[in-house]
Amino acid sequence: MEIIHSDVLVIGGGLAGLRAGLAAQKRGQQVIILSLVPPKRSHSAAAQGGMQASLANALKGAGDNEDVHFEDTVRGSDWGNDQEVARMFTHVAPKAVRELAAWGVPWNRVEAGERTVIIDGKPVTLTESADAHGLITARDFGGTRKWRTCYVADGTGHAMLYAVSDQTIAAGIPVHERREAVALIHDGERCHGAIVRNLIDGKLSAYVAKATCIATGGFGRLYQATTNAVINEGIGAAIALDTGVVPLANMEAIQFHPTAIFPAGILVTEGCRGDGGLLRDVDGHRFMPDYEPEKKELASRDVVSRRMEAHIKAGKGASNRFGQHLWLDITLLGEAHINHKLREVKEICQYFLGIDPAKQWIPVRPAQHYSMGGIRTNADGAARGLRGLFACGEAACWDLHGFNRLGGNSVAETVVSGMIVGEAIADFCASTAGELTVSTALIRQCFERAQSEFAAIANHHGKESASLLLREMQATMTAQVGIVRHGEAMNAAVNTLQDLLLRSRDLGLSGRRSGADPELTLAWRLQKMLKLALCVSYGALQRTESRGAHFREDYPQRNDADWLKRTLASWPNSEQTLPTLNYESLDIARMELPPGWRGYGTRDAIEHPLTAGRQAEVEATRAALASSDRHAVQAALMPFRHLLPAHLRGDNARIGQHPGENA
Amino acid sequence: MITLFRKPKPGAAPRRLTLHILRCNPADPASKPYLQAFELEEAEGMTLFIALNEIRATQDPSLQFDFVCRAGICGSCAMLVDGRPALACRTLTRDYGSDITLAPLPFFELIGDLSVNTGKWMRGTAERLQTWIAQSEAVDLDALEARMEPALAEAIYELDRCIECGCCIAGCGTAQMNENFVGAVGLNKIARFRLDPRDTRSDAEFFELIGDDDGVFGCMSLLGCHDLCPKELPLQTQIAFLRRKMAVTGLY
Amino acid sequence: MSQIAKSSPLVPPALPEAHRQTGIPELARQSLNESSTRKSRWPARLDLLQSLSGLFLALFLVAHMAFVSSILISQELFYRVARFFEGEWLFGQPYPILVSLVAAGITCLLVVHAWLAMRKFPAGYRQYRAFTAHKSRLRHNDTSLWWLQVLTGFGLFFLTTIHLYDMLSQPSMIGPYESADRVWSGGMWPIYLMLLFTAELHGGIGLYRLAVKWGWFVGDEPDAGRRRLRRVRHVFSTFFITLGLLTLLAYINLGRAHAELAGERYVPPGNTLNTTVNAGKH
Ligand SMILES: Cc1cc2nc3c(=O)[nH]c(=O)nc-3n(C[C@H](O)[C@H](O)[C@H](O)COP(=O)(O)OP(=O)(O)OC[C@H]3O[C@@H](n4cnc5c(N)ncnc54)[C@H](O)[C@@H]3O)c2cc1C
Ligand code: HEM
Ligand code: HEM
Ligand code: SF4
Ligand code: F3S
Ligand code: FES
Repeated sequence: MEIIHSDVLVIGGGLAGLRAGLAAQKRGQQVIILSLVPPKRSHSAAAQGGMQASLANALKGAGDNEDVHFEDTVRGSDWGNDQEVARMFTHVAPKAVRELAAWGVPWNRVEAGERTVIIDGKPVTLTESADAHGLITARDFGGTRKWRTCYVADGTGHAMLYAVSDQTIAAGIPVHERREAVALIHDGERCHGAIVRNLIDGKLSAYVAKATCIATGGFGRLYQATTNAVINEGIGAAIALDTGVVPLANMEAIQFHPTAIFPAGILVTEGCRGDGGLLRDVDGHRFMPDYEPEKKELASRDVVSRRMEAHIKAGKGASNRFGQHLWLDITLLGEAHINHKLREVKEICQYFLGIDPAKQWIPVRPAQHYSMGGIRTNADGAARGLRGLFACGEAACWDLHGFNRLGGNSVAETVVSGMIVGEAIADFCASTAGELTVSTALIRQCFERAQSEFAAIANHHGKESASLLLREMQATMTAQVGIVRHGEAMNAAVNTLQDLLLRSRDLGLSGRRSGADPELTLAWRLQKMLKLALCVSYGALQRTESRGAHFREDYPQRNDADWLKRTLASWPNSEQTLPTLNYESLDIARMELPPGWRGYGTRDAIEHPLTAGRQAEVEATRAALASSDRHAVQAALMPFRHLLPAHLRGDNARIGQHPGENA
Repeated sequence: MITLFRKPKPGAAPRRLTLHILRCNPADPASKPYLQAFELEEAEGMTLFIALNEIRATQDPSLQFDFVCRAGICGSCAMLVDGRPALACRTLTRDYGSDITLAPLPFFELIGDLSVNTGKWMRGTAERLQTWIAQSEAVDLDALEARMEPALAEAIYELDRCIECGCCIAGCGTAQMNENFVGAVGLNKIARFRLDPRDTRSDAEFFELIGDDDGVFGCMSLLGCHDLCPKELPLQTQIAFLRRKMAVTGLY
Repeated sequence: MSQIAKSSPLVPPALPEAHRQTGIPELARQSLNESSTRKSRWPARLDLLQSLSGLFLALFLVAHMAFVSSILISQELFYRVARFFEGEWLFGQPYPILVSLVAAGITCLLVVHAWLAMRKFPAGYRQYRAFTAHKSRLRHNDTSLWWLQVLTGFGLFFLTTIHLYDMLSQPSMIGPYESADRVWSGGMWPIYLMLLFTAELHGGIGLYRLAVKWGWFVGDEPDAGRRRLRRVRHVFSTFFITLGLLTLLAYINLGRAHAELAGERYVPPGNTLNTTVNAGKH
């Protein structure tokens, strides 16, 4: 048994994992990062549209600040998120963008003078100020009141991931590529690292660390139609679930992106609509204004996706041999804009559809896109249930996004949470709690358990085919736990998935290859993925309300009275075929922004009895401090800066204003 | 209004494709590389991503290959398609004959079948060429960001678009002969950081990294890199540019 | 929480050995360790020298073709040109040694050029196989062209040696009859035919390669620029090969007509004196 030691083990080489690793390493901790693939191939690279941060440089971003970003984020989440975390996040996001700028991300910049943009289908001339010339610019994104999404053409995630990855190389942090964490080393109280499988030779080894951080990204591959990469199978979340003591939160909160090309599911960025693209139906009619007169195409993703599905259901979908879809029209943006700012989109259309988006409309239909849920952590990123275990990025439920995340808030979250959680990890390692106390017996026990898991599959010779079961699971999830949900369908889905879980214990492999047999890898992962699928579907079935991306036809209202709470799914006994669900209430009394209407979508929430009281309190505080600085008001309502590492507490400068000054 | 796919010949029977795949398992010293033929029915809009996954699901679950984004943006899936490097995930079978030969990228360490370890080489090259922003000053995260001309930012991004797929290396005759050659990917990165004002290195410092026959002077202008780069990076002009700068540096 | 200074330096620390788990080529390790010592400037200079020598040779070839093809206009013109290069215009009488000197100079240049270029030849069978396999797999224009350049360069190595030996050893034997006799009666025409094709192809490709290599005449659109350069290269090679063939044909014809009298020297009309002087020397 090979044992590899480090202070910090980061599982995941995407933006979140790399940034957290860097932060811990800068504090003197020795870090090892694991990744299924070379880190620059992580799915963070696929983020096209941009990263939100309230820099307020662009004309249409003028007046933006942390407060506006905070409110947009909370509304976007449908009040399902943690407001303290949202505050921490919106405060640090500008710092993160600026740090990335210094690390070489070629953010698009403000060009002083006139330029023509498309707003609401019409060309509009904007005059950018000379003051802002050369500062980082921003584009419009769904669900935001200001143009706040910083971008690098439509390769934002790529540019960010490369810059951060290059910094980790510069810092000499080793990334062990083509390794998969297959189990956590723990004793039910403290996490000591992970058992890791080498995907080249199939060998297992033990990585022992003071602190372990899971940053394994999303689990879109539970679905058939998804914008996610094929490696987004959620194994990081699954091994946390497998401990029996670490809960996954809000797994039912799954985001569907409105514009995935049909049928391949490859994403074309929200930037298309942000920059002025329109959605059209079979008749070429622009239908979004009919449903959402205010935000139109730029309502939040859950709303747009739902409206699109409803429109297709109403018989207005266009069709091709693969089924029904709608059109995304960016022809009005012009060839020059598409060639410069939407290049990836152009390439994708060219290669996967054989069309030129400057001339033709793009066939789109919503597809699974993002998982708001994940390993439940506190504001420091420490996971519930095991000391020494942390999580960040899409794999975590830090709970910035609640039940719907805003476009551009996710890559921002990866970096911001990486900055914050990495510091917390370093603090933990430096504290007495962080001392390494693991016994070799425990390591061996965990190692052997993992070994026997693989051996059991390889030697079973049952009659089921892993790839068939996988397809069945994906089809079930897309058809029955999708954008528009219903109790009956989800009940059926839960039954099917339970059945699949049982059948997955009877797999038969051909066992043709030595080393890391892809067949064995798939079979092993399938069992983990089925458990996650059950967390999603069972959680969705139990949540009898609609909130954010979780929309139920049979319970169309948001129900704050009963459901202003987080679902916590755990799997205490491996013989179970359903997760154990618990709930954690959100504390209205501490909310800076008490529940209300989002500003788009339906307006019929069932109110929580405490909402009105807190609303009055907030208004009273605001009135009392009317003449104070906005930071003072904010601090009176919900202090958060103490939760941040000291060097991230300072005010953010904006043009015409210096740190510490008012907006 | 729009035909979704280019050749919607209605009623035409789908083609039978034969994929000839170079199989090899270096983990098993007894195994010898061989070409194995797999037949399957072509589907509308079929990419090699779809085809290979279908083969793995229905014919040979042990087949090894790498896909991540399956959208042509992560650089994982480069392989030789009929002898030329290409991103398999965005290669449409309809652009090829009914017999397609697939082989792993040459030059890189073979993991098995179509899977090669490009990542390891790229990391090694990054360390060797120090391809990161080397800054002498620290950043104040609370202050306004340094300004940059919009056109310059776009020019940097143009070179930053490399996805480290390795096609340029596999398409380069120099690299086939000299395994220490940094390739177009390495040279392009140096060009990218050289262009970036946030990187404070001088030409003499860059010369230390690429001023030899494993660097820019090793390039024989074969231009396979330029012609095969799936991201259409301007490799030809960037290498020429670097050659001029480094040659001048080399005069002193 | 954390107390690190907000301006922690971003300058990367040196890579500790233990962290090199991803495998860096051996060479990288060296270059990292040696980064304090200054790298040799020679690769840059040699590359420049290779290009300069090639450029000069190619320009020489153009001039040389113009000079030998003067036979197409008239025998007398060729005769005058030959004498011109022997310095008659300067010293009042021809000194063939000058031609030998030029030939010696060109020979040196060729040696230098060939030596520099040979660094790029496949070293050994493994590299040879690697490249040829690559070339036939790839079916890529510029890659195949380079191979052609290697092959023609290899050929030139022998062909120019023969030709230059002639010019070095018998510098005075340049003239309409002398040359024609060498071509026909001396049986040199197959050599010249090969030399013509190899030199023109090699020079043409070489000039094209110089342009893309240093980024000259490429313009803003590299792909369009290259298409343009390729056309220029075609025109260049075709023109000079045609010109050369016609010239060679002229020598052959003249040589056949003059075969009976092979060895006789050309006397330009109305200039008997000079000829006798010259002839007397031999
Ligand atoms: C197509 C697309 C476009 C997007 N566009 C945007 C956008 O414009 N703006 C925005 O804000 N967000 C966007 N997002 C969302 C955002 O990109 C992701 O949420 C975010 O990048 C996730 O980063 P991460 O670091 O958490 O995970 P990832 O980048 O997915 O990285 C996960 C890492 O974990 C590793 N890993 C996984 N499992 C294991 C294991 N078991 N053992 C070891 N390693 C493991 C993987 O190898 C990988 O390195 C987009 C998402 C998609 C799919
Ligand atoms: C002994 C005979 C010769 C040999 C062996 C030879 C070989 C070569 C080779 C292999 C190259 C390619 C080098 C590279 O790509 O880096 C080359 C380049 C070149 N050759 Fe020659 N050559 C010979 C003679 C000539 C002659 C007679 C000319 C003139 C017509 C010439 C002109 C050029 C030019 C212009 C280049 C391009 C230079 C460069 O790429 O830097 N060569 N030669
Ligand atoms: C100083 C050196 C040189 C001199 C004086 C010289 C001179 C001549 C002369 C006089 C001829 C006519 C035929 C003859 O007399 O034999 C000739 C032909 C030729 N030379 Fe040279 N030459 C020189 C160098 C070269 C070099 C370096 C090359 C090629 C790289 C070359 C290529 C040729 C070719 C191809 C022909 C045949 C012309 C034709 O077919 O029209 N020569 N040269
Ligand atoms: S330069 Fe082009 S071909 Fe080379 S690695 Fe980068 S993207 Fe791939
Ligand atoms: S193919 Fe190779 S030789 Fe140079 S021009 Fe490209 S790196
Ligand atoms: S799988 Fe990402 S480029 Fe092909």
